[in-house]
Amino acid sequence: MDIKILGSGCAKCKRLEQLTKEAVDAIGVEATFDHVTDINKIMAYPIVATPALVINEDVKVAGRMPSKEEITAWLKAV
Amino acid sequence: MDIVLTALQSGIASLSSYLAAHVLLCLVPAFFIAGALSALVPQQSIVRFLGPAAPKWVAYPAAAGAGSLLAVCSCTVQPLFAGIYSKGAGLGPAITFMFFAPAANILALSYTGVALGADFAIARLVLSLVFGIGIGMIMALIFHRSDTVRLDNAAAFEGGEGISRQTLIFLGALIVLLVGGTLKLDFLTTPLLSVELPWAAAVAIQNALNVLVPIDLIKGDEGLSVQGVILIGMLGLIALTAWRGLGKVDDGFTRLTFVSLGLIAATLIFAALGIVTNDTGLVVTLSGRTLVVAAMLASLWPLSSRFEVWDIQQWLWETWRFVKMIFPLLIVGVFAVGVIRMFIRPEWVQAIAGSNSVLANMAGVVFGVFMYFPTLVEVPIAKMFLSLGMHPGPLIAYLMADPELSLQSILITSAIIGKLKAWTYVGLVAVFSTLAGLTYGAWTDGTSISTVALGFVAFIAVLFGALHYMDKRQHAAPAL
Repeated sequence: MDIKILGSGCAKCKRLEQLTKEAVDAIGVEATFDHVTDINKIMAYPIVATPALVINEDVKVAGRMPSKEEITAWLKAV
Repeated sequence: MDIVLTALQSGIASLSSYLAAHVLLCLVPAFFIAGALSALVPQQSIVRFLGPAAPKWVAYPAAAGAGSLLAVCSCTVQPLFAGIYSKGAGLGPAITFMFFAPAANILALSYTGVALGADFAIARLVLSLVFGIGIGMIMALIFHRSDTVRLDNAAAFEGGEGISRQTLIFLGALIVLLVGGTLKLDFLTTPLLSVELPWAAAVAIQNALNVLVPIDLIKGDEGLSVQGVILIGMLGLIALTAWRGLGKVDDGFTRLTFVSLGLIAATLIFAALGIVTNDTGLVVTLSGRTLVVAAMLASLWPLSSRFEVWDIQQWLWETWRFVKMIFPLLIVGVFAVGVIRMFIRPEWVQAIAGSNSVLANMAGVVFGVFMYFPTLVEVPIAKMFLSLGMHPGPLIAYLMADPELSLQSILITSAIIGKLKAWTYVGLVAVFSTLAGLTYGAWTDGTSISTVALGFVAFIAVLFGALHYMDKRQHAAPAL
């Protein structure tokens, strides 16, 4: 599974990455993490607001912090 | 040696009057509002009005709204600015968004209101709204041709939920708490009940405090009261408990979370009491303000229980993050301002910016452009200049230019929109800030409000009319 966190390196984005890692560990799936901070690369996705979570190139959430349950549900749905 | 001591004393005086007087009823609720805006208001609720197809009359006000509601922290400013510019409503609204954000977010506005007075806060809000939209429109016009090449990415702006009703009610309660705690209205300040507490030591403590932190009304030093000392102590306790209680709240509520929230509520109510020292002890006065603050605090509990636990955790976590990010810099800034104040002669300030001339306003702008201060520190600096005899006009010019034009914001903008546009923007901000100062200065100098309003409205009408006309012509002749 390919997971990308989009964000300019702010506290919220780091929290989202940490939460996602915890969710990944909890359900025990294989995943690669990439924290994208380059604003041009971020803008290539169909989002305006950060932080954003992208799983297998599919934007799951942007502009707000999802709960761990939401993240877990997205991870399981892949 | 003497001068070092006096300077340090001045720094401590500035810091203690800041902590005891300005922070509590203004900045504490403001931080909680900023946290709520960041955690409970989905960015999409405003961003959806900023899509590529949004008409101008929707996009510009929405950009200003995004600036004041979503952009409390600079890390949201950059992606939103880039997003609006490259995918959405374009250069104009993006500029409006960026111009408006630092002057009109809840922290800057409420702090300006308490430290400098409500008229400065209102002037700052109105002038930056009008000029933010004006500068945005001018930029959109000047760079009309290059602005048409944008990614067509309407999907990013579509959908998304609005702001829920319970969030609006919750924000409303917090705003009443902030306003009720700070406004100087009669029904809030009239004493309802006074109790005398005989406490002989209080007199001695107050005398000692007066020596340590002298009251100097000419310089604007308010001294430090017994109540102030207790409040500073309580702030210290809050910091200790909140470090873990709020900083780790995302792992779940702990006992420390409730202890720190309880302490914050108690501190706010205590700060809303009037406490004066007389010959025999303390006189404690209950006023409308105390009741409003207590009632609003009490209402927050049932209101917050209607949210999901996760949302409340997010709210507290965001609030604490803002405090951790902004507060330490602010404390250092306020102390430094107090020290520096000792070395600036009022005559210098009055000679350069003591009257509302074009040169004085330009001096305010130039100082704002070349000095960089962290978020909110521009306010104590402005207060220092005001007490040193700076005219309110140049002061507003400085307050407009300083947060708009930091080196950091110029760099971010030029990375996204290119050097030419970024420097055009800098030039426009400088001109418009000077103009804002002149307008406000003319008003405080006694030019009747109708004359100022008329001049202001006429200027805006001419500006917008000219822009509209040029826009029409450019659309009519795209081949050029």
